[in-house]
Amino acid sequence: MRTFWRLLGFLRPHRRGVAVSLALATVATGVGALIPYLVGRAVDDIRGGADQLWPLAALIVAAGLVRLVFSVVRRLVAGRVSLGVEYDLRNRMYSHLQSLELAFFDSQQTGQLMSRSTVDLQSVRFFLGYGLVFILQALVTLVVAATIMLAVNPLLAAVALAPLPLTVWFAFRYGKRNRPAQQEVQQRIAELTAEAEENVSGVRVVKAFAQEPRQLSRFGHRVGRVFSQAMVSTRIRAFYNPLLGFLPGLGLAALLLVGGRQAVEGQITIGDFVAFYGYVLMLAGPLRGLGVSLGMAQRAVASGTRVFELLDREPELTSPLGAPPLPAGGGRIELRGVAAAYAGAGPVLHDVDLVVEPGTTVAIVGATGSGKSTLVGLVPRLYDPVAGSVAIDGVDVRSVDLESLRGSVASVSDDAFLFSASVRENIAYARPDATAEEVEDAARRAGAHEFIAALPDGYETLIGERGLTVSGGQRQRIAIARALVRDARILILDDATSSVDPAKEAEIRAALEEPLRDRTALVIGHRLSTIQAADEVVVLDAGTIAARGDHGQLMEDSPLYREIVAAEGARATAPSARAPEAVGL
Amino acid sequence: MSSETRAARARRRMATAWRLLRGEDERARKLRGVLALLRPYRGRVVLMLVALVIATAAALAPPYLAGRAIDDGIRGGDLSALTVIVGLFFVAALVNWGATYVQTYLVNWVGQRALQDLRTRIFEHLQRLSIGFYSRNKAGVLISRLTNDVQALDQLVTDGVVTLFSSTLTLVGTAVILLYLDAGLALVTFLVFPLLLAGSVAFRIASAGAYRLTREKIALVTAYLQETLSGVRIVRAFGQERRHEHRFAELNDDYREVNMRTVRLNAAYFPSVELLSAVATAAILLYGASRVGGSGAVTIGILASFVFYLQTFFDPIQQLSQLYTTYQAGMAALDKVFELLDEEPDVVEHEAAGELPAVRGEITLEGVSFAYGGEDGEYALRDVDLVVPPGQTVALVGATGAGKSTLAKLVARFYDPTTGRVLVDGHDLREVAQRSLRSQLGVVPQEGFLFSGTIRDNIAFGREGAGDAEVRAAAAAVGAHEFIEQMPDGYDTDVGERGGRLSAGQRQLVAFARAAAADPRILILDEATSSVDVGTEARIEQGLRRLLAGRTALVIAHRLSTIRRAGRIIVLDGGRVVEQGTHDELIAAEGAYARQYRHWVEQAA
Repeated sequence: MRTFWRLLGFLRPHRRGVAVSLALATVATGVGALIPYLVGRAVDDIRGGADQLWPLAALIVAAGLVRLVFSVVRRLVAGRVSLGVEYDLRNRMYSHLQSLELAFFDSQQTGQLMSRSTVDLQSVRFFLGYGLVFILQALVTLVVAATIMLAVNPLLAAVALAPLPLTVWFAFRYGKRNRPAQQEVQQRIAELTAEAEENVSGVRVVKAFAQEPRQLSRFGHRVGRVFSQAMVSTRIRAFYNPLLGFLPGLGLAALLLVGGRQAVEGQITIGDFVAFYGYVLMLAGPLRGLGVSLGMAQRAVASGTRVFELLDREPELTSPLGAPPLPAGGGRIELRGVAAAYAGAGPVLHDVDLVVEPGTTVAIVGATGSGKSTLVGLVPRLYDPVAGSVAIDGVDVRSVDLESLRGSVASVSDDAFLFSASVRENIAYARPDATAEEVEDAARRAGAHEFIAALPDGYETLIGERGLTVSGGQRQRIAIARALVRDARILILDDATSSVDPAKEAEIRAALEEPLRDRTALVIGHRLSTIQAADEVVVLDAGTIAARGDHGQLMEDSPLYREIVAAEGARATAPSARAPEAVGL
Repeated sequence: MSSETRAARARRRMATAWRLLRGEDERARKLRGVLALLRPYRGRVVLMLVALVIATAAALAPPYLAGRAIDDGIRGGDLSALTVIVGLFFVAALVNWGATYVQTYLVNWVGQRALQDLRTRIFEHLQRLSIGFYSRNKAGVLISRLTNDVQALDQLVTDGVVTLFSSTLTLVGTAVILLYLDAGLALVTFLVFPLLLAGSVAFRIASAGAYRLTREKIALVTAYLQETLSGVRIVRAFGQERRHEHRFAELNDDYREVNMRTVRLNAAYFPSVELLSAVATAAILLYGASRVGGSGAVTIGILASFVFYLQTFFDPIQQLSQLYTTYQAGMAALDKVFELLDEEPDVVEHEAAGELPAVRGEITLEGVSFAYGGEDGEYALRDVDLVVPPGQTVALVGATGAGKSTLAKLVARFYDPTTGRVLVDGHDLREVAQRSLRSQLGVVPQEGFLFSGTIRDNIAFGREGAGDAEVRAAAAAVGAHEFIEQMPDGYDTDVGERGGRLSAGQRQLVAFARAAAADPRILILDEATSSVDVGTEARIEQGLRRLLAGRTALVIAHRLSTIRRAGRIIVLDGGRVVEQGTHDELIAAEGAYARQYRHWVEQAA
């Protein structure tokens, strides 16, 4: 219930619109409810001929016109409110997601977050936008029509209206039963899609092992499961849908029976009878809608709980209010007694002490899961340590403004994520005001200019999901250019050259030499050439620094380092750079 | 205007109409295709139509009965007649319920069955198509044919057909009853028809456009959200949250704006229909009043029936106008589905293709050239002659685009060579049944593609009915048994979608075991390039060695150890074999391989 009231809170900025649309709905419904009454009167006066009847006919048309005007305005106002609520809610959700720290996203599946921001948001907005209006309007219709009927003839009103509450109940139950059945259909369609997906992606394996018949029979099984569940849902629909039409029919039959007798006995006129008939028909739709809307409300509360769970999650990594920007400096990094951990998991890093002097390059090596990425993530404060401190140029990173801190650190992450935008926009990502020359210069330094210039639209070529697909090596070079365009004092390269072929890598390495010379750099690298070029190498093992020194020293002193180097040697670098789509069996 | 030009114009119009008709003819072929899907269930279709007619008739009875109740019962003061009519009324409502149940059930049964058949047919057809087809088409698009497009057809077949029949029947039925009750009043009622029809059609067309636009805009919003969630690391690292919020708000606003168009359209349409209903009621009352007193003999009951019919008369017209959207979406889906079904496989099974007998595993390529897209395309392989004796491991080496994987694909007969022949044990691959070739040939794709299911399912994939012992033996043979036993559920561990719950190295080992279980004479293997940890690396190397032992193998090699150990190295460049021999021979020859080898070694150490 608390969730329900909190959901209604989303309407607060639009309360005027809500009030106006409610008032308009009341007038429109009230005026509309006059029509059956007027028709009833007209039927009683029909013997007077057209001459006597035209004022009533004119009233009916006038009522219709008034209702038209009020309904049109009501729909426009309500529509604006509903879209406004949706707009606010979606923006709020997005801004909130943007305020949360990276560790939150590490612990959540993207699919889950997507489903909250789309599916759950949808059921909340459907209820706030449409469901609530339906409920209110149905109630207004019910009150107005029932009042008129009761005023005219209470007994007849009671008889005709008796089956109608059942409509609400059954419509509600219908939704409640049909929805899980429908969801199960969707679930099974999703399974079928996954099956199809797998067969299309794995078609080479299927063909290679000549397993077509077996895959077909598996697919046939999935198809059959969809069918049988679709029939479960169909049976529910086939039962309830006509039932919801039957109940008002029952009211009409009762009206015919009781009202007919009363009319014969002269207690009511034929006009009253016709008017009542009209009211029962008029109520059937809204009452059915009321049941549907109540189901909507129920779902909205369930979804709302999940939405609020997300909105109530406070951002845990923020800079103090009015924090000063990071003062200028040479880029000295200092980690003191640092420990890091993910929520609900053991420590990822512990007792890490590390000083990186301005302008030097430190390579970090270690097995998967040894804590390399977490360590470099501490510097731009993507994560906070659970113990110890991280300082840049003598200032604790937690005491300065986040935006200025992150503006001083440029990173290239291992997945080289690019946005669906032009190449230029991707490179200028961190500095949207960068000039064309600056963008091109960064691209040149990252060894990317050549292939970008050869793209169909050069720097304006759209890449990413909805644009051109670029190879892994090209992505990485664009990502490097993106980091270079931000003239930051600290550079973080996370495995930045892993999917670039050796020749290109040498070229990038040469290009990076100059920017690396006067910048502090942390490099996570697998390749020996990367490691050898560093001023110092730090070997991580299970979250602690196991050894440090230059390549030569470590080869002598550290067995772990030797093992890592040996493994790199055993696995020859791929003899060719691979464009993933062009090859592969 | 002269009569001649008028005649010419008429002729031109006729020609246009004819073209349109012929254009529809293609559609008609496809619609016949849909009807063909329904043919096996025609008995149920007929039953469904009968139920539909009964349900519609029962739904049309109440207003008429109410009118008779007024005339015969109330005005005649005949209570027993009233009771009978109420009884009929009740029966009509019950019949409507029952008949609607039957009709809904049957139409969905038939519709779902037909679509199930269609899905299976598309799937079967997809399986017949060659690998070349799959490289030309995006996976997402093909899957969409099986899911979204079939779904759109579902709408057309079930909702569309039912609406078409029931609304038309209701409309015609009501019109007939009204004409029967009183022709004059009926004609007055029909006056509002053209207006309603024109308005409805215009509304549907306009709102179809508006809804499409709304869907497009919301898709942009969702895609943007998805993208910034996937790239959240970059967003945080570069501190660009505020810019994304701003852009998101813009997209959100665009969506709100176009959605407002649908609100406006709805706000104009639905209240207008209500007004038309009020106007029609007033018109009937006025005209009716002028006829009640006179000799025209319009009774009050008939008048009441008209008023009651009017309340629901407009529904079928609204529903029919809605069909336009369903029809369009359905036809678009139909076009796509048929386009797929009309696609012919590139690799065609020879009519007289015989079974390939059990082979020793000798592979021969005679003057093989191959171009993707036929003779006019760019050649990926040129004049390749090659004989691989049974049991030899051949490492294919070369830069991207040198032709390594093309060569491997030709041996697996994923494609046929453009010129030349590929033979196994002297049998031209084009003359043997594809199944009999593939059952003796194993393929290990790069990164070891696995299917969802258990490890056991995956190992037994290539060998139907493989028992537990065989699965374990295969795993043990490539050194995968150890890690599998350590998994929580052992061989019954669920590998997840595409094997996602296993590490890259584990996937490789399972893929090796899968190939080992099939025990092929010939093995084609694309070595993985992904980095794995030290221990797994050693295990993979060992597994690979055991898998290759005793089989003829073509390996697209990426590891120096594999290349060094191969019985023969084939160096490809620009689609030609430029060097071949053992590692030592090639090093001694001081050619391209020797140069390249030195470079790799430098890179690696």
